[in-house]
Amino acid sequence: MDPQNPYAPVDLGTEEPLPSLEPEGPREHLPPGRWIRKRLFNNRYNSLLTIVLVTVLGFATYRVGRFLFVTARWDPVVTNLENFMIGRFPRAERWRVIAQVILWAATIGLGWGAAVAGARFRATQSGVEYLEDRSLAKLRRYWALVALVVVLLVTAGTLGPAVVAICSVAAGAGLQKLGARVPGRWIGAVWALVGALGVLGFQIVSGFDGLAWLWTAVFVAAGVNSMLSQRGFPDTRRERQTRLAAAAAVFIAAYCIYALLLPALIETEGVGWDNWEGFRVNLLAAAVATVLAFPLGLLLALARRSGFPALRIMATAYIELIRGVPLITLLLMAQYFIGFFLNTSTPLSLVSRALAAMTLFTAAYIAEIVRGGLQAVPNGQVEAGNAIGLSPWKTTRLIVLPQALRAVIPAMVGQFISLFKDTSLLYIIGVAEILKIRELVHAQPAFRGYGIAETLIFVMFAFWAVSFTMSRESQRLERRLGVGER
Amino acid sequence: MGGRHVVPAAPADRRPNEASVIRNSTQPPPGEERGNAVAWHRNIRTLRIVVQVVAAVAVLGLLAWMGSNLITNLQRQNIGTDFGFLDDPTRFQIPFDDGFDPQSPVWQMVLVGLRNTFLAGLIGILIASAAGLIVGIARLSSNWLVAKVAQVYVETFRNIPPLVIIIFFGFAIFTYGPFPILSEATTFSWPGSSHSLLILSNRTWGVPSIVTAAGAGWLGIALVAGAAAAYLVGRWRTRRGDRTGRPPHRVVWFLATFLVIGAAAFFITGKPASMSWPVVSENLRRIDGGFVLNYGFISVALALGLYTASHIAEIIRGSIQAVPKGQSEAANAIALSALQRYRFVVLPQALRIAVPPTINQYLNLVKNTSLGIAVAYAEVTALTLSSIGNGRPAPQSIAILMVAYLSFSLTISLILNMYNRRIQLVER
Repeated sequence: MDPQNPYAPVDLGTEEPLPSLEPEGPREHLPPGRWIRKRLFNNRYNSLLTIVLVTVLGFATYRVGRFLFVTARWDPVVTNLENFMIGRFPRAERWRVIAQVILWAATIGLGWGAAVAGARFRATQSGVEYLEDRSLAKLRRYWALVALVVVLLVTAGTLGPAVVAICSVAAGAGLQKLGARVPGRWIGAVWALVGALGVLGFQIVSGFDGLAWLWTAVFVAAGVNSMLSQRGFPDTRRERQTRLAAAAAVFIAAYCIYALLLPALIETEGVGWDNWEGFRVNLLAAAVATVLAFPLGLLLALARRSGFPALRIMATAYIELIRGVPLITLLLMAQYFIGFFLNTSTPLSLVSRALAAMTLFTAAYIAEIVRGGLQAVPNGQVEAGNAIGLSPWKTTRLIVLPQALRAVIPAMVGQFISLFKDTSLLYIIGVAEILKIRELVHAQPAFRGYGIAETLIFVMFAFWAVSFTMSRESQRLERRLGVGER
Repeated sequence: MGGRHVVPAAPADRRPNEASVIRNSTQPPPGEERGNAVAWHRNIRTLRIVVQVVAAVAVLGLLAWMGSNLITNLQRQNIGTDFGFLDDPTRFQIPFDDGFDPQSPVWQMVLVGLRNTFLAGLIGILIASAAGLIVGIARLSSNWLVAKVAQVYVETFRNIPPLVIIIFFGFAIFTYGPFPILSEATTFSWPGSSHSLLILSNRTWGVPSIVTAAGAGWLGIALVAGAAAAYLVGRWRTRRGDRTGRPPHRVVWFLATFLVIGAAAFFITGKPASMSWPVVSENLRRIDGGFVLNYGFISVALALGLYTASHIAEIIRGSIQAVPKGQSEAANAIALSALQRYRFVVLPQALRIAVPPTINQYLNLVKNTSLGIAVAYAEVTALTLSSIGNGRPAPQSIAILMVAYLSFSLTISLILNMYNRRIQLVER
């Protein structure tokens, strides 16, 4: 208290800060000497701890460093790097994988750009300044992923992968820049393009026939529909009818061109849609299962929160049943008898069956996450929707879900990470994912019982780099969306 | 969930004022009051029932269809649909379990598997709790180095799949790792004693154990009684400490009571328990005596313990940060030391917040022991898989597996829900 003025307001400290992710809190810049004294030797215990830890860490770093850079025998990894990444994918068709990587990099870049453009559009619409991170900050955020790519490129030893990596990064970054500059009313169309590009990347490997064209046509039609619609304003009934008719016409035209014309003109044969091995399985299975599980999880969450007891009971039973058993039991079910439930004449491939199990599993977890988001939306929002005469479905779609889904993005990323880690279980049912490939590598006569720790460290690093980067991103999203703050 | 806030599916083109009245389901719709009833296909009550019946019929129909497919397919493959196989002999040896007779029925094998599951789960939980608590507190240390090391630990273990960690322990540290083979096993013993305390090899570890003789039952009863007496003494010391303000020395009194009663009972019942020391057998193939830990068990318990510890550490950190800062400052103000501040003020409040998510992590840990199959640990999933490989029907075996895990998880969630409700009542 100020002795001169006893009535001066007492400094009670700033408001309680949120549990921050960095335990040290806001970074203070001290000169090195004072920093060391303050952060390492501020009292007797800490001085002792620091000295002990420095000794132990120094020794451990020396031993680990010596192992990694001197004594480790990395040749099982170096010789089999391609096997680790794509497994026994036919080498003559390798260009398909390369094209897929580049196309999907472009898809992600464009999608990211569209997200940025959307955020900027919304920010300017509501009169808020939109701040974007600098590129250098982004690179620092992805250092683990960058390290993984660097390790892979160095291990590969040839220029091919480097060219692929540069092409993918260039395509992704270029389209991100392009997408971020799209004006507001085109954003929907860009999202449709993102979808179409994603499907194209899929078809490069799976072949240009089958149902995937349907999705391309859907995306093209959605793009046309979005371009015709005036953003932010509800159109009249007549305008809507014209718009939908146009979209339907485009859909039919696109489907006809794609399904009838193109297959006749270009090489359409693919390599099978789930011919996945190596680290590709781990990445793709997690992504595909999450994407497939999302609609199911959303429906389950809505059913569990609905006013219909029958729906609620069924959804609850499903969710609790699935969450009560380990994923491995569902995968064993997939391995042995999931096909028996269906009346299929041709047996599904092991990867497809595993994907089905993972989708059913993830849907239950996504349902719980979405339910948490739905519960976080204040009841007043629903009541407000009712008050302006929206139907329950419109209240859910226009008022509740946008808020709920925004709040659950970080948790969804967390679920994706957990599923990505769980793809290692595919090893147990015999899918040739990265751990299985590792086993096959050690079955080679040259590497029997040789370099066991080294291959495992490589596998660990691959998993770690991806999930570490994503968990960091989800924490950042959480802070930016301010999930914990309300 | 907020009460009975019912939002039924009203037709979209209904006028708003009418719709909002009808939604209040305790009152009859205005149309009925005035006598001109709403047509049944627009009546919200009928619609509600119709929607639910349609959904239920659809789901049950799907289930029935899938079930009938399953039965048809099983019969086509000559697998059968009964559980009679449970009484057949197991016909394979459980690894590292010489006490198991391959001729015992399958249900006994399942029980052995469940026992091993819970054994690994229990040890894993102990490791995870201890390591998680330490790392969680260390993450908030004022010492930069300690906090950083804890952060690196968390960020490393949290982002690697537990299966990979288990395999790393099982093969890179044990089977092919730095430990010697059994014939050259490293042995630790007290100086001057011939009994070995610890035998380390790359597949099995031997530790001393306690073997019981006749009369051990009485000793057990006496020990339980001793524990009860020690608990009562502890409570008495606490109350006395609260009353007089003098340090209660609870732990000393507790242990002393227990040890005195235990030692007295041990001699009175005629020393029914004795130590069994591990010894490498003559043919250097196995460890005799003591308690033998196999590499699968150690890998699963250690790997899952360390993996789950990274999650628990984050829970502990979050819970400590959730304790209002004023509590810590108040403890400072009454001149408690840093240790006392944690022990008496911060941790008791933080741990209460941490209990539900921590128990969820325990549950995950027990479910994750099913990954022990990768290192040939004989837990219930691995044994079931072996048994399926021996020609037992897969659907029934996996159903038993699922029911076992499910009943365990549901019991724990039930207890957790009860705990949560109690905590909530205390808070408000």
